[in-house]
Parts: sequence; structure tokens; C-alpha cells
Amino acid sequence: MTIEPLVRMTSISKSFGGIAALENVDFQLLPGTVHALMGENGAGKSTLMKILAGVVQPDDGMIRKAGRTVQFASPREALNAGISTVFQEHSLLANLSIAENMYLGKEPLTVLGSVDVARMERNARETLRGLGLNLDPATLVGNLTIAERQFVEIARGISANADVIILDEPSAALNAADVEILNAQILSLKQQDKAVVYISHRMEEIFKICDTITVLKDGRNVDTVPVATIAPKRLIAMMVGRELAELFPPKPARTESEIVLSIEGLRLTPDSPPCSIHLRRGEIVALAGLEGQGQRELVRSLVGQHAAHEGRVRIGSRELALPLPEDHGIRMLQALGVGFVPEDRKLEGLFLDLSLAHNLTIGLHSRHFELTPAGSDRDVIANSIRNLSIKAATPSTPVGTLSGGNQQKVLLGRYLALGADILLIEEPTRGVDVGAKAEIYKLLRAYTNAGGAAIVLSRETLELIGLCDRLYVIHDKHVVAEMPAGQATEHAILEAALHR
Amino acid sequence: MSKVGRIFFPANSRHGLWTIPLLVAICCCVGLAISTADFVSRQNVLNLFAQAAPLILVSIGQMIVILVKGLDLSVGSVVSLTTGILSLNAPFYVTVPAAMLNAAVVGLLNGVAVTRFRVHPIIATLSIMGITQGAAMFVRPSAGGTVASEIVALVSGELFGIYMPVIWTIAAILVGWKIVHGSRFGLHLFAIGGGETAATFGIAEQRNEVAAYVLSSCFAAAAGIFLAGRIASGDPNIGTQYAVDSITAVALGGTQLAGGIGSLHGTLIGCGLLALIANGMNLLNVSAFVQTIVKGAILLLVIALQPRKNIGL
Amino acid sequence: MTSRSSLLRAALRIPPSCVVFAVLLITLWVLRPNMMNPAILGTFARQVVPLGIVVLGQLLVISSRSIDLSAGGIILLVNYLISSGLLYSWPLLPIILLCLGVGLAVGLVNGLLVGKRRASAVIVTLAINIVLIGLVEYLANGKPPGDVPAEFRALYNLRFWTIPAPVMFWIALAGIMSAFLGASVFGRFVWSIGSNPTSAHFSGVPVERTVVAAHVIAGLMFAVAALVQTSSIAVGSVRFGPELVMNSIAATILGGVVFGRPAEVWGPFVGVLCFALLFVVMTTIGVQEPGKLIVQGLIILLAAIFYGLRSKSN
Repeated sequence: MTIEPLVRMTSISKSFGGIAALENVDFQLLPGTVHALMGENGAGKSTLMKILAGVVQPDDGMIRKAGRTVQFASPREALNAGISTVFQEHSLLANLSIAENMYLGKEPLTVLGSVDVARMERNARETLRGLGLNLDPATLVGNLTIAERQFVEIARGISANADVIILDEPSAALNAADVEILNAQILSLKQQDKAVVYISHRMEEIFKICDTITVLKDGRNVDTVPVATIAPKRLIAMMVGRELAELFPPKPARTESEIVLSIEGLRLTPDSPPCSIHLRRGEIVALAGLEGQGQRELVRSLVGQHAAHEGRVRIGSRELALPLPEDHGIRMLQALGVGFVPEDRKLEGLFLDLSLAHNLTIGLHSRHFELTPAGSDRDVIANSIRNLSIKAATPSTPVGTLSGGNQQKVLLGRYLALGADILLIEEPTRGVDVGAKAEIYKLLRAYTNAGGAAIVLSRETLELIGLCDRLYVIHDKHVVAEMPAGQATEHAILEAALHR
Repeated sequence: MSKVGRIFFPANSRHGLWTIPLLVAICCCVGLAISTADFVSRQNVLNLFAQAAPLILVSIGQMIVILVKGLDLSVGSVVSLTTGILSLNAPFYVTVPAAMLNAAVVGLLNGVAVTRFRVHPIIATLSIMGITQGAAMFVRPSAGGTVASEIVALVSGELFGIYMPVIWTIAAILVGWKIVHGSRFGLHLFAIGGGETAATFGIAEQRNEVAAYVLSSCFAAAAGIFLAGRIASGDPNIGTQYAVDSITAVALGGTQLAGGIGSLHGTLIGCGLLALIANGMNLLNVSAFVQTIVKGAILLLVIALQPRKNIGL
Repeated sequence: MTSRSSLLRAALRIPPSCVVFAVLLITLWVLRPNMMNPAILGTFARQVVPLGIVVLGQLLVISSRSIDLSAGGIILLVNYLISSGLLYSWPLLPIILLCLGVGLAVGLVNGLLVGKRRASAVIVTLAINIVLIGLVEYLANGKPPGDVPAEFRALYNLRFWTIPAPVMFWIALAGIMSAFLGASVFGRFVWSIGSNPTSAHFSGVPVERTVVAAHVIAGLMFAVAALVQTSSIAVGSVRFGPELVMNSIAATILGGVVFGRPAEVWGPFVGVLCFALLFVVMTTIGVQEPGKLIVQGLIILLAAIFYGLRSKSN
């Protein structure tokens, strides 16, 4: 007897800016199951679920829900069709109560046309209790803990009579006790014949509560297997295994140079164990691991953009205590010779409508007092353009008209021109073509060979292995392993990340 | 949120901080009652209501716009223009609908400029304020004209023994309460001010925002009708003070200019406090100019205490 | 990048004020050809010099994504200080310095509240404006304004080769501001904030400090404008039209300096000249005060919509 799948996605394809995120992916959900979706960074699991949730639309392929073909233009439409999602970026409104969030858009009304608060809260309380929660539905969501907000999002899906619930990294922000509550909720959903999609990296949870696992790699299906028939080691093997391209410049022989930056006793949150990181002159060090495990927070806490719980940073002879102030953390570190290169060059890094020359030299100018003349810096600009092989018509071309690779080079060029001794780089080659990637790698290596040092973050583990001398593996907001690049493979990193 | 803001914020409500202004208002009342004999007189209380009623009307409209992260600088000139329209020598069943229609159009312009054309609310309402003020000066270049006697009757005298301005105030409060706290629309206003609602919750953000601006202009027009009845003429400058006064009252009452937090009772308390201060200063014979300084200083203080992330506009 | 598309882009970069100015000039020439001589045009230009200098400050502030509505109050206060006889016993130079100091001080208060305290610029500067107006009216009640010292009026009426001295002063000031913005690090900071405040922050630009400085300089400019304005009238006055601030915003936006575009002096400069011609053309046609207000509001609105549409398509 075959059970009709609740959801059947066939031949789903999706590209972003010419780069394929999903290629001909199939996926189906049976009622009353908890279905894990696993894969490395960039494997496509988030994209696949965003398509199901109505956040993005597929370029190709078909979605059938309970036998009918469907198309969702927004998360609201998906919810109306019975698919509810709890994303990592919480979408609840902090200034509305739990009940209001659950019923926004579908509020029950009294005879006089007011919102029937009593009925709303009663229904909400029932739903919450059905999940084993004892929250007061009149509480403002802004006053809830992250765990409670997640539970409310699940409750919201249930009150909308969803029969498919997608959980994107649900246990990422939860402590052990809350994870138990979450697992109990998931079990109760399963008993009500609903389907739960569980995107996670936590092996323990997956093996405890899931029935099936689908593994994606590079935007394609690898396999779908029942949990009972697979071992964790084989799972990891399914997720990795790629050829290293010949993109990377040779690395110099290892010599013990002096430590230029060291972090001691770093705890990103009160619950994280303390960890330490150090960087030597001439090194490129990676913060590797799965996405969203704290690499970004770590690096941003060094410039005051993220409030770490505590830590001590030593740069050269200066010692600083974390957390650093937000409004001048960046300037403070620039004064110490540390440049921070943000991830999103269009939104956070570049001035798209201003000239190439301005974008390159603004870092230099920021070190000076307002009334000093801004020299034409023609030499600096010419040198940068030459050394970085930036292809642009003239230095006064607006940066927004350049290609992605050239834009990225301009961004890096700004901090190189600053004369920074240490670079903290988020995503050095995001959205950049292969040719430009190779050039940027060469640049960074030349920079460190000349006496600089860099900490690099990237979602592409292969890039980190090929480029860097040493890797720290970050998981769950702290350092779980450290390994020289020679011993690093995707498999080894993933294993270290998943504690196996 | 600033540390100061955190101290003052009530824990489980999106109504904003209205308790402190209420305390200040009570202290003002007590202080004035003690220091001047005239404060508790019947005449003075009635004066207070007459002064507060138009401010309450305009402020309710202003609060509605502020809840959705906007601002309406054109309310003052809409008040003036309304008195101008009402002072044209025409029967009330012509001038009143004309005034309300005009208000709706102004509100529509504001709303469309902000939502469809993505003009910053301050720029949009500032420019439309200019246009509306020009229209007000065109319709009634200097104070004068004739207001229909029915309108004058509507704002003076008594109904069932209750003084008319009091009735207007009560009506304004009831309507305002229904819109903001007693309807789905009101809840949606708070939601839009609180974050992204279109994709996740399916709320028609743009439509609701335009409605907010239309309501703001209509409330301003109502205040204009009231004032036209009070002074029995049109005056192109009578409304100017209400733009800033309404923002002051709303902010005083705990509504956050960043949107999503506020309450009707807070706005009422803010209006009451402002009216009390004006009334008190009058009784104490404080010069009108010092009153202006005091009002400006109050606004500065209240704004400086509200937490904000962005720098500048 | 073909040369044709870069030509098109360059054409789109011409601020609307230039186009409007050309249209107005032609209109005036058609309506009143006898007005098209340097002496008369110079007089028209002289009338907008205070506006022009206010705009020099306003464009700086708008380019830093803030706004300043306190120009009217500052001008009123300076006007009163000079003409009230409060300072009659003082020699000229200290009076001027005091007025400039007042502008700087008000600008500093604005800047600190907007930049450091992060309060809304509109409301802060509006409130300060109200306080200043109230202050002047209060002082004037006790000691009404009197005559403006003769030296001011003499300076105002000076002409060099038929070009009025105030106009030359304004051009010189605009030139200094333009050179300052172009050559100094401060100018780069302002351009950066105007283009992308987040990127500015990540580049190490001191955003808060720059906004404070923009308001301080604007306050100074308003005080200078006040000095010119005072010298144009014989007697001090307490009545003042609010149009000046609105006009300054309109001229700035018309000149291509909007929230999010880099500060540029000459576009708004031409924008102010547009207003000089606009007043003349409207008076010639017979448009009265109300019409002027409406036109002003329309200009701001249309220009803002134009820029909003353009950035949406980008």
C-alpha cells in the first residue's frame, strides 16, 4: 500500500545571478514523518525549502501538494495552502502579542467589529498547550526568549492548520532543555499525521527524532535514505567529496613568525565555552565550519559590530577587552592596523555611485582629520589598479558599473591601500567568477608574503582549504578544532564540526 | 534601545510610556489649582476643553500616521484651508463636504507619494504642506469671511446640558479609540509599524498606509470645522501651530516616532498636558513668546529621550 | 561601456536646476526683454543672496542625510541682535563675530542632538526654530528692533562693475565651499555618508562627527546669510516668512542634492538662481503669494518623486 505523499517536488531548478543553486532536485514528504534535509554549505537545502515556503519561486519544476499542483508567490500563500515555515530569521512582530502574531490577517471579530481578543487568546492558549507550552498568549513577542519565539512560530503554523512544518536550523539557538521541549513538539506533530522537515547539522537530533534523511550536494540530489539504515560516517561521506581546482597559489614553507593578533578567553554568548585564536605574520588563517555557526559573529566582535560576551584581544602590544563599542570599533581597529572587509560589497562595502578613486582611497582618508586636504593620491590609485588588475575605463568610473570581480578587488584594494597589517575578510570571493577568484587568491598570498596576515571567512570550504595555511573549525559559536591546511579535507572539517 | 529608554519602558505593552506624562499632568493641575484661583473655575475648565478639542482631533490623526512610521507635517495647513473653505459664503451642506473631500485628496496625495513613489514622509508632507498653505491663502487671504450659522451652532452652546466642545472631545475620543484600538485596521497599523508584514502575514501595507494619511487629513479637517465654528471666520494662519503641537502631543504621550508603539490614551494625556501648560501659562500671565519657547523646549526634551537607530532624517 | 551610454549617463547627471533655469530665462526674455540687462539681473540675483548662502549650509546637511529647518530662527535672532540696539555700543567686528558665534552654537546644538543623540533631524531643528523665534519675539517685546547700522546698508548697495557686492560675496563663498568639499577629507566623508552610510561606517568614516560638523557649518552659513539679509533692510523686523527654509530645501533638491546623493555646490547654486527668476516671472505673470507657495511645494514634491523613481529603477 503506497501512501500518497503530502508534498511532491519534481525537477526543481533555481539559479541566482547565473549560478545554479538547485538542479533538477526531487523531494517528497509523507504524512506523519519527520524528514531531515542535510547538506554542506551551498548544497541547496535552504533554497529548496524557501521554494516550498513561497519565499522564492523556482525557475523550473513542479510542486504538488496533496495531489494538486501549486504555486506560491509569498509565504502567506504557502501558509494558506498548509505549509508553514520557521526560518532562522524570525518573522514575528515584536510589538504584537503571541495571540496577535498567530492570528494577524485572520483575526476573529466581535459583533461590534473589534478584534475579539478573548477568543483569540483562548484559541492561542489551546494551541500552545497542545504543544506542551505554558505561555501567556497576551505576552508581547518582544519579551520572549529566542526559544519561546521559535515555539510560537510553530504554534502559528499549527493554528493555521498547516500540515507541513518546515524547521530551518531550529535547535541552533536552543539550550538542551529547550531542545527537549522542541523534540516533544515535533513528536506530537508527527502523531497528528503532519510532516515535519528538519534542516539541521546536529547529528544527535537527527538520529534521535527523524525518520528519513535526504542529502543534497552542489544543488543536486545525492540520496534519500531511512535513518535506521545509515551510519553517521557514511552520511558525511555522502555530503562531501569534490576535486580541488588548480586555483590556488603555492603556500610558503611554514616558519614560526611572531603572533600579530591573538584572542583569548573569547565567549560569544554566556553559554559558550571560552576559546582562543591566534594569527601569525605571513599566515592566512581560516574560520571554517558550517554556515552560521558563529564565524561571522566572531570576526565582527573584533570590530564592535557584534557584542561578544567577553574576551581579550591582543594586537601587537595593545590589549583590548571585548565587547568593543559599536560606533567606533572599526576606527579603533583601523588605527591599530586592522582592516575589516565586510561580506556584502554592494550594501556594506562600496559606494556604488561614487568613483573608483573614491572607493579606493576613502580608507586612507578616514585616518586623517577632516580639515586635511585630500590629496589626489594618484599614485596610490594607479598602483592599486595595476597591482590588483582592476579593469575599469578610468579612475573616475562609478564603481557600480564594474563587474563583480572588479568590484571585489576594489573593496579589497581599499584596505590594502590603508596599509593594514592585518585583514579580517568576510567572503573574499562572493559572487566572483573563477578568473577573478584566482587573481584575488594571488593577491592575498602576495600580501601575506610581504608581511601581512589575514583571517578569512568563507562558505566555500574548498576555498579555505586551498587558500589558507591553517584552519579553525567553528561550531556552535566556539572553536572545536584547529588543523594545518595540509591535514584539512572537507570530510575532516565536517567531522570535526559535527563532533564525530 | 538607550539605557534611559529601557528604564522607562513598561514591560508588556505596546502603548508606550504614558504614565509619566500623566503624573506630570496631575502635578500641573494641582500646582495650578494652588497657585491661581481661576484655574478651577467653570469658565476656565470650559476654556480648556475649547482649546484642547482641535488639538486632540489633529493629534489623533497624527498618531495614526506616526504608528506606521510616518509623519504628517501638512495637518496645520489642512486646518487653515478647511477654515478658509468653510468661510466661503455658501451653505454648510456645500462647504463641509467640500472640506472633507479636500482633506481626502490631500491625504491621498501624501499617502501615494510616500508609498508608491517612495518619497520620504517628511519631504512629501512638507511639500504638500506648502501647496495646501498656498491654497489656504488663496481661498482666504486674510482672516474674515462668513461661516454658516449651523456650524457656529455646532460648536457653541450646549447639547443635553453638556458644553459642545466637551461633546466634540468625547466624540473624537470614541472615534479615535474605535479606529486605533477597536478594529482590525488598528491592529494592522501597529503591525506595519512593527516590521515586515506583507510577505509573512499578507497585510496590504501600502493600502493601509495611504488610509492612515487620509485619516490624518480628515481629522485635521474636523479640527478645522471646529475652529471655523469657534471664530466664525476663516483664517489662513490659524492652523500653523497644530503641525508641531500635534507631534509634540503625540510624542509626549509615549508614542514612538519610529512606529509600532503608542496609544490613544497616551495621545490624550499628551494633548491634555500641552493644553494644561498653555492654560497655566496664560493664567500666570506668562508672555505668549515665552510660551512658545517652553513648548519648543518640551518637544526637544521628549524627542531627545526617544531611542532611535538611524542618524539624521 | 559604450561612449553613447556614458554620454547619456552624463546627461542624466545634469541637475534639473540647469534645465529649469534655462526655461525660466527664456520665458523672461520672451515676456520682458527689457529686463535682460546685467544691472537688473544683478538686482534680482542680489535678492536671493541670503537664500543662496542658506542653501550652502542646507546642501551640506541634506547630503549627510539630515535636514535643517532652523535657518529662519537663526536669521531672525541675528537680525534682532544687529538692529535692536542691544549691542549699539559695540564696534562692528565683535557684533559680526557674535552673530557668527550664535550660528555656530545653534548648529552645534542641532548637530549633537541629531548626530550623537540620534534624534529626528526634522523635529529637532523645527523645535529649535520655534525656541529661537519665541526668544526673539520675547526680547523684541521688551526692546523693539531699531535701525540697522549704516555700514551694513552701505556694503549692501556696493557694486563692482554693475555686479552687486553681495552677489560677488555669494559666488566667492560658494566657490570656497565647493573647493573645500572637493579638496578636503571632510568633503569625502560627506560624500561617503550621502552615498551609503553603512559603507561609510565600515570604511572607517567618523559618521557621527561628520553629521555634527555638517550642522555646525550649516549654522554658520545661516548666520552669514542673516548678516546679508539684515543689510538689505533698513529697519529690523520681527516678522519673517517661513518660505526661506522651504525655498532652501527646494533649491537644494532641484540642484540635484537629495538624500543619498553627494554634496555638490553648483547645482543648488543654479537652483537658487532659478528662484530669483521664478519670483520675477511669477510677479510678471501676476501670480500672488499663495501661488508662489504652491509652486514651491510642487517643485519639492516633483523633484523628490523624480529622484525616487530614478533610484527605484536603479
